[in-house]
Amino acid sequence: MHILATEGLTKRFPTVTAVDQLTVTVGSGVTGLVGANGAGKSTLIKILLGLLPPTGGTAKVLDLDVTAQGAEIRRLVGYMPEHECLPPDVSATELVVHLAQMSGLPRTAARERAADVLRHVGLAEERYRAVGGYSTGMKQRVKLAQALVHDPKLIFLDEPTNGLDPRGRDEMLTLIRRIGTEFGISVLVTSHLLGELERICDHVIVIDAGRLLRSSAIGEFTQATQTVTVEVDEGLEPLAARLTADGQTVSRQGRMLVVKVAGAETYDVIRDAAVDLDLCLIRLEQGRHRIEDVFREEVASV
Amino acid sequence: MSEIYDIGYRHYDGPRLGRGYATRALAVHSLRGVFGLGRTARSKIVPFSLAAIMLLPAIVSIALMALAKQRGIPYSGFAVIMQAVVATFLASQAPTVVAPDLRHRVLPLYLSRPVAVVEYVTAKVAAMTVALFLLVAVPLTLMYAGELLVDLEGPPLTQEYLGAVLMALVLAVLLSAFGLAISSFTPRRGLGVASVIAVYLLSSASVPVVYGTLYSSGNESAAAWAWLANPFWLVDSVQSWLFGTPPHSIESAAYPSGPASLAILVLLIAVGLIALALRYRKAASR
Repeated sequence: MHILATEGLTKRFPTVTAVDQLTVTVGSGVTGLVGANGAGKSTLIKILLGLLPPTGGTAKVLDLDVTAQGAEIRRLVGYMPEHECLPPDVSATELVVHLAQMSGLPRTAARERAADVLRHVGLAEERYRAVGGYSTGMKQRVKLAQALVHDPKLIFLDEPTNGLDPRGRDEMLTLIRRIGTEFGISVLVTSHLLGELERICDHVIVIDAGRLLRSSAIGEFTQATQTVTVEVDEGLEPLAARLTADGQTVSRQGRMLVVKVAGAETYDVIRDAAVDLDLCLIRLEQGRHRIEDVFREEVASV
Repeated sequence: MSEIYDIGYRHYDGPRLGRGYATRALAVHSLRGVFGLGRTARSKIVPFSLAAIMLLPAIVSIALMALAKQRGIPYSGFAVIMQAVVATFLASQAPTVVAPDLRHRVLPLYLSRPVAVVEYVTAKVAAMTVALFLLVAVPLTLMYAGELLVDLEGPPLTQEYLGAVLMALVLAVLLSAFGLAISSFTPRRGLGVASVIAVYLLSSASVPVVYGTLYSSGNESAAAWAWLANPFWLVDSVQSWLFGTPPHSIESAAYPSGPASLAILVLLIAVGLIALALRYRKAASR
């Protein structure tokens, strides 16, 4: 089932085209939406929430049309904005209870749900204190809690790791992964950092200047570039020559060789070459391929 | 330390109420905010001390009725006499209703929920209106209850009381539409307070200036229109026309015709609400 689907979606502002003929479908699970700053991610989310009318094309979220059924969509989805959006003089509990009511939950249910989600996002006693005194990490958790409090079917997280330190980033990413798996809530998470999405997403959509560059399962991203890195003590040149002669695709990176894996026989060829040339093999490592590399290639080719 | 069991994530399958409920919840939340309920003790000081000041004349009035057997402040003139306090309350509290959501960009959290801008603005105006209405109507009601208990000679002035309560509501709508519109144009609370009080002082001060100028040039009927520049006298002129109460202008000077006053009143409320709607349409599209 498609959680959301767009067809030729376009949004033009007077001076810029933010979303350009975007046709994409997203299934359940965690989906990453990647693009540089200004690629149109936030605009796309606003369109999907039914807050910004598209200039052209159609978009459906949970099988509801964004232009005609915006209010219905907003009842079923949660949204965590990119920017700071918390009033400083109220406590996290009070704010989240209030926003749960704004999503239509009766007061007692709102209280229960607020306590539940604040616990899930990891806010303990501090939730009774005014938000103004919170650290960035805690504020991000409150923002996430308010997006989850009405138990949405789908949540849009706009740059949830923005401004967090490495540890906070890790915790936030783990939490997002849990939301997508344990909680059973589909997630569309945006980021300009591919590396972090790689860890938590089932599917990645790459956009640039409002256009779709690529949309595929995370596995396809990494499978496309299987390589092995070879490091030898001396004799890099003869090894490279030998491997090339054996029909392998070899490129040199500093003191190492990067060999494209054609199949299981590639490893045998490398081993045999090292033995035959009597080389001291220091390292044979599976290439740590980041989707970043794919992204770089695709941007370069556009 | 006791152990906390993680029972995992629980889904919510209870009722999801409509936009009407959400609008009411927002109005109640904002009304609590006006009086500083659920906020720090510091934010309760101003609204509650102003409310207490509003009650003082009512208490004096009751004492006067009980001891001297004579009436104090007339119901119909209460709002006009207390206008400085009401205006101060509006100036100090209207920005707290609208400014934080704009300044801290909370608006997207509301608009990503089923409520639309119209409902958001409606809830905010309703909250401020109820707050101002309570500020004026509670002392009036106290005075009326006092009159009934003291049992003065002659029938109680029920009609004047009810008229004054109705006009308190009209005044509250007018003031909150304008107060919120003015204070929503700046995300800074202090600036909002200053703007609202400045507009009130300007409207107040212009009355004697315009009146005096026109009166001394012998244009008495035109001078009467000057009263309508001040919202409190504007509402009083409508009250005077609708309920036949004496004008509570300075030295009981006559107001211009009632229907024209009512038209101006309705027009001003509409202008305030439209300004507010336009302001929020712009804020929402950011």
